[in-house]
Amino acid sequence: MAATFFGEVVKAPCRAGTEDQEEEEEGRRETAEDREVRRQLARKREVRLFRRQTKTSLDVSLLEKYPCSKFIIAIGNNAVAFLSSFVMNSGVWEEVGCAKLWNEWCRTTDTTHLSPAEAFCVFYHLKSSPSVLLCQCSCYVAEDQQYQWLEKVFGSCARKNMQVTLLTCRHVTDYKTSESISSLHSPFLKALKTQNFKEPPCCSLLEQPNIVHDLPAAVLSYCQVWKIPAVLYLCYTDVMKLDLITVEAFKPILSSRSLKGLVKNIPQSTEILKKLMTTNEIQSNIYT
Amino acid sequence: MASRYDRAITVFSPDGHLFQVEYAQEAVKKGSTAVGIRGTDIVVLGVEKKSVAKLQDERTVRKICALDDHVCMAFAVILFCNVLPTFIGLTADARVVINRSRVECQSYKLTVEDPVTVEYITRFIATLKQKYTQSNGRRPFGISALIVGFDDDGIPRLYQTDPSGTYHAWKANAIGRSAKTVREFLEKNYTEDAIANDSEAIKLAIRALLEVVQSGGKNIELAIIRRNQPLKMFSAKEIELQVTEIEKEKEEAEKKKSKKTT
Repeated sequence: MAATFFGEVVKAPCRAGTEDQEEEEEGRRETAEDREVRRQLARKREVRLFRRQTKTSLDVSLLEKYPCSKFIIAIGNNAVAFLSSFVMNSGVWEEVGCAKLWNEWCRTTDTTHLSPAEAFCVFYHLKSSPSVLLCQCSCYVAEDQQYQWLEKVFGSCARKNMQVTLLTCRHVTDYKTSESISSLHSPFLKALKTQNFKEPPCCSLLEQPNIVHDLPAAVLSYCQVWKIPAVLYLCYTDVMKLDLITVEAFKPILSSRSLKGLVKNIPQSTEILKKLMTTNEIQSNIYT
Repeated sequence: MASRYDRAITVFSPDGHLFQVEYAQEAVKKGSTAVGIRGTDIVVLGVEKKSVAKLQDERTVRKICALDDHVCMAFAVILFCNVLPTFIGLTADARVVINRSRVECQSYKLTVEDPVTVEYITRFIATLKQKYTQSNGRRPFGISALIVGFDDDGIPRLYQTDPSGTYHAWKANAIGRSAKTVREFLEKNYTEDAIANDSEAIKLAIRALLEVVQSGGKNIELAIIRRNQPLKMFSAKEIELQVTEIEKEKEEAEKKKSKKTT
């Protein structure tokens, strides 16, 4: 037994196993109804990859169908806005697929005109150089869905001659450091790379004990296991919603090898970014 | 560790933190930016205006209002004519504090027959905030305030309060989103020359806000108080004029710079 702060008495779980175990197991035996519910839930949470134009689903993994040498993945609305303004407007990109998924936190939308306010996961390749693949993912991929997402996108065999660049954001209060939080100049960029990534990253590396979470972590782990050179640029910010200053914090990445050839017109990109901000400002009245 | 000591306001963590107060300070960072500048004969308060939803009445979203004739705050409210405060953070909390401050201003005037001093009302607001960090079952106010004004002695004042209930006097300060960027700008540019006259002080405030405000002058609200003069709210046109002047000066400075290098 243990007492909590508020004075409740709770039963502490016992690892030794008790005599009651047999009775508990009987109660837990699955019925056909349980199995059916479980099946339906699994079906609902399935990650499906398909082409929006033809509405046909992909039978092989995305990278098998569209092998690439550069794969740039933006996860989160600020990273997506950065790629939209700086990379996607400097060339003609063709959509090659999109991922549909559902979880308690988000449901990907079906509309053709995607705004930063909606949740989606779309894949594009550069028409002039189809070996460059880009992913804009602004939906939350739950823990049980990350493996499926990786299977459907990367497949289950090693990809040769490919480099992966990930961009994402995290709230600065998650950043663990011995300095005081008020001395941090957020937003700031940190990098985490796999062993096979030999280039110098565009910013300092993420120090311990900080860790990466969610889909970026899943992708990095996959790349590390399959020896794919990959780097994650993580922007710690104090504004998680779409914000100009946070998006501009990603600018140092424009000088990296994977993005250099893809960005042409920076002043125009800044204008596009500003327009994106103003047209998608979801004004909340809670904060003045 | 934090999760065991951050639910109840009255609990200190083992290393001496009051997490609810620190979290309240994060709430302030979600509000828009406000900047306050204390000049020689003027005090300036600028706030970033949030764009209003289409169907919303703009009047009800105005940031600068009065507590009394002499006191102004940003979510600026006129308290008394010589004091101008602004609150940034949770709108509802700001409204509650403004109402209490207005009552206090009138009550003080009735009792003492003098208008409140800037420091008095700042201390009142700070004490009120502190009470809420030491009460059972209540959370702190999620607001910071910038309070500017003139006292009877004619000295300009700028104070800042935060959710913990502390208050300090400043020469220039910013609160809200990207406050750090604005404060760094002010540290670099707040010089004796910059506040030498009123128009320079006004320009400094606008320049500081332009560092972080998206889409320029039309998202800025500005109020000033000059010594022995009532509060003046700048119209959108006046702000645009200032912004145009600032941009012209910037261009000229850049031209001079490029001439020097060539």
